[in-house]
Amino acid sequence: MIEPFTLPFMARALAEIVLLALICGPVSVFVFARRLSFTSDALTHTVFPGVVIGFMAGQLFAGALVAAIVTAVALTLLTAGGRVSDDAATAVLLTAMFSIGVVLVSRRSSYTSDLTSFLFGRLLTVTPRQIAETAVLAVVVLIALAIGARALLFRTFDPAGAQAAGYRVFWLDLWLNLIVALVVVAAVRAVGTILVVALLIIPAAAARMVSDRLAVMVVTGTVLVVAAGYTGLLASWTASLHYGVALTSASAVVLVLVAVYLVLIPVRILRTGPARRT
Amino acid sequence: MSWWDDALHRATAEVILAGCLAGLVGVHVVLRRLSFLTMALTHATFPGVVAASIIGVNILLGGIVAGGVVALGVAALSRRRGQDASAATGVLLSAGFALGAALVATQSGFSRDLSSFLVGSILTVGPQDLLTTAVVLVVVAAVLLVSARPLQLIGFDRAGAEAAGVPVGRWDIVLLLTLEVVVVTMVPAVGTILAVSLIVAPAAAARLWSGRVVPMTVLSVVFAVGSGLAGLWISSRWNVAAGASISLVATAILAVSWPATRIRPRPARPATT
Amino acid sequence: MPALRYAGVSVGYDRTPVLTHVDLELDPGQRLILVGPNGAGKSTLIKSVLGLAPVLAGEATVLGESPAAARGRAGYVPQIDTLDADFPVSVRQVVMMGRYRSIGWWRPARAADRRAVADALELVGLADRAGHRFGTLSGGQRQRVLLARAIAAEPRLLLLDEPFNGVDAVSQEAIIAVLRELAAGGTALVLSTHDLTVARELADLVCLINGRQWAVGTPGETLTAGKLRSAYGGHTVDLPDGHTMLVEP
Repeated sequence: MIEPFTLPFMARALAEIVLLALICGPVSVFVFARRLSFTSDALTHTVFPGVVIGFMAGQLFAGALVAAIVTAVALTLLTAGGRVSDDAATAVLLTAMFSIGVVLVSRRSSYTSDLTSFLFGRLLTVTPRQIAETAVLAVVVLIALAIGARALLFRTFDPAGAQAAGYRVFWLDLWLNLIVALVVVAAVRAVGTILVVALLIIPAAAARMVSDRLAVMVVTGTVLVVAAGYTGLLASWTASLHYGVALTSASAVVLVLVAVYLVLIPVRILRTGPARRT
Repeated sequence: MSWWDDALHRATAEVILAGCLAGLVGVHVVLRRLSFLTMALTHATFPGVVAASIIGVNILLGGIVAGGVVALGVAALSRRRGQDASAATGVLLSAGFALGAALVATQSGFSRDLSSFLVGSILTVGPQDLLTTAVVLVVVAAVLLVSARPLQLIGFDRAGAEAAGVPVGRWDIVLLLTLEVVVVTMVPAVGTILAVSLIVAPAAAARLWSGRVVPMTVLSVVFAVGSGLAGLWISSRWNVAAGASISLVATAILAVSWPATRIRPRPARPATT
Repeated sequence: MPALRYAGVSVGYDRTPVLTHVDLELDPGQRLILVGPNGAGKSTLIKSVLGLAPVLAGEATVLGESPAAARGRAGYVPQIDTLDADFPVSVRQVVMMGRYRSIGWWRPARAADRRAVADALELVGLADRAGHRFGTLSGGQRQRVLLARAIAAEPRLLLLDEPFNGVDAVSQEAIIAVLRELAAGGTALVLSTHDLTVARELADLVCLINGRQWAVGTPGETLTAGKLRSAYGGHTVDLPDGHTMLVEP
């Protein structure tokens, strides 16, 4: 069970996943509590053109970073004050940004293979330099989260009360959106723009099935991502080595996460009684 | 050689039909704020479409089965209290994509197929696809016409409709399945991801211009067909991806509509306590 | 220095006034009850004190400053139904939120903070529930937790928006007792309600509003049949004991 990870590329892939787990666990708890699933999904899509432009300029990391920050600000402005159509506006913004990315890629000769790697990542070709960059981002994200945690918790639980207590809700929302955007940047090369959203949503959603406590949810979510990373990598390794099935590793990791979520649903029902209608 | 033998002609016919479909159903998506759900549906349909094409059955069928499962899954998961609905949608969304990607990867020619499912390949639309789209358009238009009144009632005042004895849950499923059929039908033209923008953007733009349902629907259809045609032209003129161009034109219409309608005086906001 | 002074104030949103002609003066330790029908502007008035709804005209002073400058210094108890009952947060965590402003962004909570939280929970009679999840409590208990959160911040002015909505009789009595104790300690209170019995029982001052201020003064001066009728637009019934009952839903 350990043997495949003695290969450098497998070890690097696992290291990358562990780093991502450290930030996705805590961040996903806030994404879950703030119901930012849609916003996170939007951020993963809007980072895409940045990735493409960055790739063409030879500065993929910088491109993704700039796109992430710009769209975090744009999304915060768009959803500020809970305006009527923010749902539709978010959907349009994200598909538009995504389309720009597709248009840019479609001008290239290696169109389809480039598109695939942008969308689904290349977990097995993670370089030591990428791991270093992810580690730096992870530290930044964790510090940002530690600074904002109290205020974000208050704002999430009781927006009116937080405002009355003197917190600036707009800046807190921007803060959280930026944190989510940084996670997307950190994860984008390894798992791709589309599968990042799984890492941002599922850990906390699954952890919520087994606990009511925020701290426990953070730890559980982190452990889940690590476990899913290990299992998914092992499964994709075994599938391609012993059965000749090409199972992409990032997809395998996400599918394991989804399976854990589904398995935990009965646990929640046992804990809280049968589902009630809203 | 008939007119239909030209790929560009077939593509033109397809975007007109798909535009009508998107415009019609988009009004409901925007009014009921189902954009995220539409997003999830398009993503989750992806594995169904892939599986169907691997097995060799009609991809419309595969997409509808997968989408039906998802629509019912979202409905079941979100019956649990508040907190879970948006997360459950997100989980299904990413699950659908991961599964689709995993399925495609097991086949050779991975990248090409994958991208055609994701962003569409309108220039390879065949007569069969055109016929399917036309039939779906007729069916969807009929369904929406018949259910216009209850859907409008539920969209406006859900509790009131429930109290008046309208079977709200059943109409929700009708709307979801209609939406799902539209999404699956549009996949060959614009792909799973960009279908969202052709559904949402024209309707959102139409909503800015009119507050009433009928003119809004007409405008929405006009905008959708217009973006389809313009996008197709841009795509063939500059050799860029057609699905993406269509989606960008639709966005541009919305982007222009917003300031344009802002200039007109708006009624004052109602007072709140 | 009065805790609250409004002189000829209009409040509203988007330059559309919701409530006009507000003239008030509230001293420390006084209890002001806002009475008016639904949509009268009670919540907007409270939001304006908190600096969350703009003052469109007139002069408003909160704790000696403009509402915006005083923001964060006045305590606030929101309506319980605006909160998510499924939120994974414990009662103790909710009350600790009242201390967040004084704790700041970085520093861990100190013994003094934990004591303030425990004392506030003790005061509202929920010390034994500190470890429970907020959403598992009854409506009345949740309202008491939110009151404890406001108390933990030790405000000199406390605003409560419809604190008795969806609250059982036991909790209502507990809340009223706590509010009396707070006022006796010098905290100025503003609370909105449409329960005239509570208003008569608790108020030093009553402010009768509906789109504008109709009357302000002691309960005896303001909750008269004639003034209630004018504010509520005739939706009142005079009872034989001299009191007036509202028939507005």
